[in-house]
Amino acid sequence: MEMIFAGLMDSLSPVSLVFVFVGVATGVAVGAIPGINGPMAIALFIPLTYYMSPLAAIGFLVGLNKGAFFGGAISAVLLRTPGTPEAAATTWDGYPLTEQGKGEKALRMALYSSVSGDFISTTVLVLIAAPLATVALYMGPPEMFALISLALTVIAGIGTKSISRGLVAAAGGLLVGMIGTEPVTALPRLTFDIYRLESGLSLIPVAIGLLAFSEILIQLERLKLHAGAEEAARSFSDKPEDKFVSKKEFFGSTKTLLRASAIGIGVGAMPGLGAPVASFLSYDQALKRSKKPEEFGKGRLEGIASSEAANSAVVGASLIPLFVLGIPGNLAVAMLMGAFMIHGMMPGPLLFEENSRLMYGVFGSLVIASFFLLFIGRFGLKLFCKAVQIPSVVLYPVVIFTCIMGAYLGQSSMFDVIVMLVFGVVGYFMRKFDFSYVAFLIGFILVPEWERALQQVVIISQFDPYLFFRRPVALLLMGLTFFVIIRTFLAGVRKKN
Amino acid sequence: MKRVQRDMLAYVLIALASVLLLIWAIPVYTPAYPGYGASPALVPNVAVSVMLVMAILAIVRSVVASRRGTTLSEEESTYPEDGSGSGFTQVGRVDIVHLAKFMMSAALFVVGINTIGYIASALGFLLLLQYLVGARNPVKIVILSVVAVALMYVAMRYGFGVPIPGY
Repeated sequence: MEMIFAGLMDSLSPVSLVFVFVGVATGVAVGAIPGINGPMAIALFIPLTYYMSPLAAIGFLVGLNKGAFFGGAISAVLLRTPGTPEAAATTWDGYPLTEQGKGEKALRMALYSSVSGDFISTTVLVLIAAPLATVALYMGPPEMFALISLALTVIAGIGTKSISRGLVAAAGGLLVGMIGTEPVTALPRLTFDIYRLESGLSLIPVAIGLLAFSEILIQLERLKLHAGAEEAARSFSDKPEDKFVSKKEFFGSTKTLLRASAIGIGVGAMPGLGAPVASFLSYDQALKRSKKPEEFGKGRLEGIASSEAANSAVVGASLIPLFVLGIPGNLAVAMLMGAFMIHGMMPGPLLFEENSRLMYGVFGSLVIASFFLLFIGRFGLKLFCKAVQIPSVVLYPVVIFTCIMGAYLGQSSMFDVIVMLVFGVVGYFMRKFDFSYVAFLIGFILVPEWERALQQVVIISQFDPYLFFRRPVALLLMGLTFFVIIRTFLAGVRKKN
Repeated sequence: MKRVQRDMLAYVLIALASVLLLIWAIPVYTPAYPGYGASPALVPNVAVSVMLVMAILAIVRSVVASRRGTTLSEEESTYPEDGSGSGFTQVGRVDIVHLAKFMMSAALFVVGINTIGYIASALGFLLLLQYLVGARNPVKIVILSVVAVALMYVAMRYGFGVPIPGY
């Protein structure tokens, strides 16, 4: 109890509050810019967190992530161009409202829904993460090995069009993650006699290259192909009923908000699915259960509520597998996991044992970020709307420049810049060939833990594979891993037939 | 080149790289087995084997499909040449010239920092980058370059205390 109180007080310290506020504001601004999403923003801003305390750093990044989720709705509503993939369903009812001059109202509904979903999800996270982590403490190396194998397989299967591509990408990530000093012998492995590789590849340049730099390369190609296609944001109506969401309108969507939050929490807690799945699923349910389904797609507030509450509910819930098991369920969480590791903490059940004060501080920051999102969205909405109008000729050069300097900032190393450029090209080709860069990055992040668990399993069992048969949970998880692989393969074969 | 052909090329390259890793890179650049625990080569071998098996399966599948005269689903056999597509990652053909332009300018910037210093190379890089992206107003181009370079320099040098060769 003492730790809980101390952690919450830490989250209320001025420094922590400032960083959470700046994180949310930055997140809303970058999320509003089409083409820049939460994980990309986290990758770009992680180098800055080297210079922050762990709580300020994590608070800043979770604020950034939360802000980006709402920010994505701004361009979705104003331009019919979702700033982030999860905001795609928001365009269906948001943009028709903008065409009617009710863009501000649509954005306010998106904000209130986003904050509601996020707050419910954060509450669930705070209530269940610590007790679940206590249970997870009973998991030994065989269970952890099996669990990471399952997580990699699920992410490989869901994040791409075929499991073979996903597995190739995940295996590639594992391989790249093994470059450096081998943990048992403490000798260099796969370094090709390049001494700079002996300490392994740092997450920051790899993530910036794969997530941000390659994405900008792709967007620049699109810009070339669709030159002059940029659309101007429309103007808002001045009538109060077109600007504000009434209490009746908001509370009329209570059921939708609760259902959407539940869907977001469920989807978020499962590795691999991600926020776009939650928002589409929630929109579909809202449509099927609505008394006026014919109004969906024509500017119904309920449609915006269903999409925004669900995708924002994913933010908090996706931290459950990270905090409880050390498994990142999606890209944004994988980047947060990287941030934890940079600050010397390994997410997983031991996180609450070893850093309980910090963890309750993080919980406090998560709740505070929800309120900041409401405040920032409420009073800065028109300002953030201007972010969608930043010309591409200004945005892309600045982002590329930031990618390069961000890669340098981490360790003041030009070698890291070269690594970032290399992975920018790798990411470019992975996107072109539909290989999942998500699976690659999560494989890269998880491989040290996976290999450590494997080493422990081998040492405990003395090469006896029947160890898994004596550990029912590990056996079940391994069984599920093979089931996922076979099922995804068969589904692919059936689809082709 | 159709998408199916390009995928075939990708899988062949992956298969060749995997074989090279299995027979040369992993044995040469992995420490010897210390006599306890798992071999340092175990996980790399498993990862590369997965890549090899998946690549071979995909190649076989494509060959069988073409021999039978059956085509893969449209999604897999065609590629939107104009860059259109519903997904966030679905894009058009690989534009090597476009890629090379940006990579070359980034590489020049990296070399420039170590030779002529950050300020001159970053200014040149941003001027070039804006031109490549399509900016044509010289005043705006210069203002953005100067402001971005100055802000980054001040933030890095005085904000984060990062050593950076200014000139």
